[in-house]
Amino acid sequence: MIEGLKSKRQSALEYLYDHYSGSLYGIIFRIVRQEDIAEEILQDLFLKIWDKIDNYDASKGKLFTWMLNIARNQAIDKTRSKEMNKGKKTDDIDYLVNKIDNQGSAELQIDGIGLKEVLMELSEDQRFIVNQLYLKGYTQSEVAEEFGIPLGTVKTRLRAAMIELRTILKIK
Amino acid sequence: MNIQDYIATGILEAYALGELSEHERAEVEKNLAQYPALKQELLKIEEASELLFMKAAINPSKEVKARLFEKIKAKPVGKEMSIVPSSMRMWKLAAAASITFALLSSYMAYTYWNKWRVSESNLTELLAQNQRMAEDYNKVNQRLDKIEADSKVIDNPAFTRILMKGTSNAPQSLASVYWNENTQELYLSIQSMRQLSQENQYQLWAIIDGKPVDAGVFESIASGLIKMKEIGKGVTTFAVTIEPRGGKASPTLETMQMAGNTVKS
Repeated sequence: MIEGLKSKRQSALEYLYDHYSGSLYGIIFRIVRQEDIAEEILQDLFLKIWDKIDNYDASKGKLFTWMLNIARNQAIDKTRSKEMNKGKKTDDIDYLVNKIDNQGSAELQIDGIGLKEVLMELSEDQRFIVNQLYLKGYTQSEVAEEFGIPLGTVKTRLRAAMIELRTILKIK
Repeated sequence: MNIQDYIATGILEAYALGELSEHERAEVEKNLAQYPALKQELLKIEEASELLFMKAAINPSKEVKARLFEKIKAKPVGKEMSIVPSSMRMWKLAAAASITFALLSSYMAYTYWNKWRVSESNLTELLAQNQRMAEDYNKVNQRLDKIEADSKVIDNPAFTRILMKGTSNAPQSLASVYWNENTQELYLSIQSMRQLSQENQYQLWAIIDGKPVDAGVFESIASGLIKMKEIGKGVTTFAVTIEPRGGKASPTLETMQMAGNTVKS
């Protein structure tokens, strides 16, 4: 697929879009919290992937990580440039979680297990961290600051959770 | 570096979340290239992280995809291909740029080195010239000072000028003394005198009460007024003899060169 992108095959980009637009849009939306802006960023993101695919270096990680980095940077730039109100975070979370829950049942059951079921298998501490980082769009420093947990603890707890998740998600 | 300790810090998880600073990310990427075990661990973390994000996905509206592909189709693909250089072309470009830069740098370095050398020698020459000018100026200044001082003596009516004419020993010689009897200042001015050998010097005498009094030795080449010794009052005659270098206590009369009387009879 990456080769397809590099030789500018549109089918490759279409596959990429169908496969990743939801997860990337989720990441963007959790940062900017406005649908129209998030959609604009998503479109720019895929245009950038199309133009800059030659910059992707597989030795530095998976394609998803590369795309995620671009998505995050674009979203963060946008919140800065528009001086968007980040204080509303908690209010929007319920709406966000609902949206995921609704979609989760319909389209995103890739491996048959929903996010909630996966997270339920983690300890409470670990579930909390993963929830904040992956579902609510907090950064590690934000979690550390807002909930009074040392940043080092946030990092090691996430590490423990990710090891646990490998077993749950059957990653070898 | 202990890889397990490094992994245990959770830095790879942060990397997969895209949360590291530019600097931290560069460091992780450097380590990834160096330690295969690190890369393996990262792949597992990325996989788990990616799956979580997939499960937390939110679908954008369908229009986004339509709009995106309209834009993609509008992009001039062929042109794009030629604009985006292949890595080979990049290498060639980079090499060409490097060579051009190196050539240009060498040329500039050579040119400026030459310019510097020329400037350096010009500067040395100018400095030497400047020094000569300063010396000349000083000499002229000193001479001017001397002439000014001399003219003060010559113009001063308190000084009497006594002309000493050549004797039969030296008929061509001519000199004058300027004498202020009140202050006893005495100056000598040579108009014409022959040059002596190294061993000998001219000596000026003042005859007071018929006795010669030493008024100092001098060279014939001296220019302007030469200050001589102060002598007493009542000089009747000034005379010059040739004496061994340093002068003598009493004159050798046979060598008398010139003489002039103070009394204007």
